[in-house]
Amino acid sequence: MTLQQQIRSNRFRSGIVVVGFVLLLLLLAGLVGLALDYSLGAVALGVAIVYGVFALVRSRSLVARMTGARELGEADLKPLHRLVENVSIGAGLPVTPEVRIVDDQAPNAFAAGLRPKSSYIGVTTGLLRTMPKRELEAVLAHEVSHIRNRDTYLMTMAVVFAGVIALIADIGFRSLAYGGRSRRGGALVVILAVVGFILAPYAALLLRLSLSRRREFLADAGAAEILNDPEAMALALRRLELDATTVRYSDASTAHLWVESPTDRVDSEQRGVLALSGLFNTHPPLPDRIEALEEAGGFRLSEGLPAGEPFAAELGLV
Amino acid sequence: MLWLWIVLAAVALLGIVLALGYNRLVRLRNEADTGWANIDVQLQRRADLIPNLVEAVRGYAAHERAVFDEVTKARAALQHASAPGAAAEANEGLTAALGRLFAVAEAYPELQASENFLQLQEDLTDTEDKISAARRYYNSTVMHLNTAIQSVPWLLIAKPFGFRAKEFFSAQGDTAPPQVSFSQAT
Repeated sequence: MTLQQQIRSNRFRSGIVVVGFVLLLLLLAGLVGLALDYSLGAVALGVAIVYGVFALVRSRSLVARMTGARELGEADLKPLHRLVENVSIGAGLPVTPEVRIVDDQAPNAFAAGLRPKSSYIGVTTGLLRTMPKRELEAVLAHEVSHIRNRDTYLMTMAVVFAGVIALIADIGFRSLAYGGRSRRGGALVVILAVVGFILAPYAALLLRLSLSRRREFLADAGAAEILNDPEAMALALRRLELDATTVRYSDASTAHLWVESPTDRVDSEQRGVLALSGLFNTHPPLPDRIEALEEAGGFRLSEGLPAGEPFAAELGLV
Repeated sequence: MLWLWIVLAAVALLGIVLALGYNRLVRLRNEADTGWANIDVQLQRRADLIPNLVEAVRGYAAHERAVFDEVTKARAALQHASAPGAAAEANEGLTAALGRLFAVAEAYPELQASENFLQLQEDLTDTEDKISAARRYYNSTVMHLNTAIQSVPWLLIAKPFGFRAKEFFSAQGDTAPPQVSFSQAT
């Protein structure tokens, strides 16, 4: 798939996601209306739409707040800016994305923003402390390809819509539970509504997750192409794999944004044998991603990692 | 009557295919043009750094005239080169000349320690990194454009509409995107 096809397919999927969520939203509002009261259904719909629009407009700073990413001044960490600049030039992005720093020991990075022009890349201090320049560049290239492929756009839409669905289902659920007297539908409608309210957030979650996993392979491939160095990306992933710390700040709602899933390790430890875990992962397993890169690049990583001075040393951040 | 409809449908279909193909070629050509503009900006930036650098070195090593001449000439050659292949050639020439300039600079510890010189050296290295990034992008867009133009069916519309294959930005005139990275001239 060429890049342009990828971008177009992402736009198309974004359209499908929007239509799917709108339908789901109408269905839920309808259920609220049928089971309780039409005006309540209309109010819930209105609240959800206002919330959704607000979240989309504010998504940039919302993500920054959720991840704890802070802005950098012009003069701070210049070598890092230069690295991002180089990677964006290599990707043919018209504008260099801003860089933000997340104070966290776990090595990770993410990209956010609706449009390439207003996008930014967040990197953790842990990433700067673990990765040598070559691998850091690969991670940045991975994030830049998310921006270039419009993945960030699609995922932001999906997150916001999932939030809206959860909100409206919540309204419906609470009204059913506490507003007993205003209930107008028959028993069947009420049961239907309860099932709908319970399942809707999961449907939204599944739709969102199904979008993010294949994208990681594509962004890995994009990074390899941007740098003309698939091995660097594979090495970076291997280094992430060997690193056991996970991002402290992150919760499930921002999991899909990161280069390595921040919640997987915690979740799989907690869930244990739960078979569903594969379905609810935002990222494909790291060994699979490394293997895909090895196959595409025609090389094999040796067991150990090359020792390299972490980029933080160059930034004076030790 | 039926055959008329069939002919009309075939013509309409052909028109759509032509339009799509034409748009695709235009898009690819624009991407390659943007890619070239990116390289051009960085080459210009590199050329702009040279006079200051020469001045900085001249302040400590005024008698090394031959090296300064060589660098100045290489810079002029780069500014006059317009085709990608020629520009790449001239850029390599400048790299070689700068290599000699930095070799000369090695002999002057005060120069090596001067803030100005270090800053210029850093900017130059950064520009070289950017040129190589811009080159990777440009060469990949050229590869897509050339592949499209040379393959059926776009081959048939490329010629009449004036789409031509573009040159890669590479010094030896080879056709594959080069894997070499710029050696740091220090």
